[in-house]
Amino acid sequence: MIIIAILIGCIVGALIGINAPVIPYTYSTFLAIAVVAALDSVFGGITSVLKKNFDLTIFISGFFCNSILSIALTYLGQKLNLDIYLAALVVFVGRMFTNLTIIRRYYIEKWTSKIEKDDKELQQ
Amino acid sequence: MKIKIKKEKLVMSITIGIACFALMLVMFMQFNMVKQTDITGIETMRESELRLELSSWNEKYNELNTIYQETVGKSEEYKNERESYEKTYELLSKELEQLNKALGKTDVEGEGIVIQLTDKAGTQLSEDVKVKRITEEDLLIIVNQLFAAGAEAISINGHRVISTTSIFSIGEEFLKVNGERIVEPYVINAIGNPDYLKSTVSGKGGHVDALKELGHETSVDINKNIKIEKYEKELHTKYID
Repeated sequence: MIIIAILIGCIVGALIGINAPVIPYTYSTFLAIAVVAALDSVFGGITSVLKKNFDLTIFISGFFCNSILSIALTYLGQKLNLDIYLAALVVFVGRMFTNLTIIRRYYIEKWTSKIEKDDKELQQ
Repeated sequence: MKIKIKKEKLVMSITIGIACFALMLVMFMQFNMVKQTDITGIETMRESELRLELSSWNEKYNELNTIYQETVGKSEEYKNERESYEKTYELLSKELEQLNKALGKTDVEGEGIVIQLTDKAGTQLSEDVKVKRITEEDLLIIVNQLFAAGAEAISINGHRVISTTSIFSIGEEFLKVNGERIVEPYVINAIGNPDYLKSTVSGKGGHVDALKELGHETSVDINKNIKIEKYEKELHTKYID
C-alpha cells in the first residue's frame, strides 16, 4: 500500500511538474536547495526504517521543515550577499552520503550473512 | 485493533504519497527550468561573475554611447554648417544671376515692346523739305526714354544695351552699337511694363512719335514674350583697380 502511494505520488508529481509553467532563473537556487533537502529527508527516512525507529511525524516534519528552512536560509544569504545555501548543501549532501553508507552496509551485511547461511546449509 | 492499524497505515501512505508528490513536482519543475534556460555561458557562470560581466558590458555600452552621441552632435554640426554654406551659396548664386541679368550677360525673356523704325531719309515731304535720316541721337533719346520708363533690358537690332554701350554714327553713313555696325530698319526691343514703355515713347513728347511726325515709318508693338540676347562680347576692365 505504501509502495502504491509512493508510485502514485511520484507519477502525479512528475506529470504536473513537467507541465507546470517555467519559473524564472532567479528562483532556481531556491528550488534546487529544497529538492536537496527533501532528498536528504527521504534517505534519512529509509535509514530510520532500516534501523526500525521510523516515525512518520518526524519524517514529514523533517521533509517539509528542512526544505522551507533551506529556502529561507538561501533567501537570507541572498540578502546578506553570502552564499549560505552552499553550507546547507554541504550539510544535506554529507548527510545523504552517510545515510547511503548505512543503507549500503545494511544490505551488504544482509547479503553476506545470507550467502554464509546458504554455504552452511550446503555443507551440512 | 486491526482497523486502527489499517487507519494508521492509510494516513502514513497518504502523507508519504503527498511528500513524494511534492518532491517530484519541485524536481521536475527544476528540470524543466534548467532545460529552458539552457544557455551554456550563463549556465556555467556564477551570479557574481555574471554581475561583473554585466557591469563591464554596461561600462562599454556607456562609453560607446557617449562616443556615439558626440559623433551624432558633430555630424549635426557639420550638417548645419553645410546647410548654411549651401544657403550662402544659393544666395550668392541668386545674386550673381540677378547681377548677370542686370549686366546683360544672360539671355532674358519677358513682356515688353518692340519698336521698329524705318529710315525714310530723302523722301520729299514738300518741294523744299526732305526727311532727315535717323541719327544716333534719336536712338539715344529713345533708349533713354525707355530706361526712364523702367525698361529692364534693351537691345537694338539684337545688340544688348549695357552700361558701357555706345551708340554713335560713322559719318553720315551708318550707326554703330557696341562697336557693331547696324542698318535700318532699327528694331528696338525693350523688356519692362509695356504700357509705361509704349506711352513714354509714343505719347506726347515721345521720340518715336516725333520721328513719325518727321516722316519716318515707325511702329510700336506690345509683345508678351520678348527675347533679348546677352551681350555678346567680353566685359573687360583695364584701368579700374
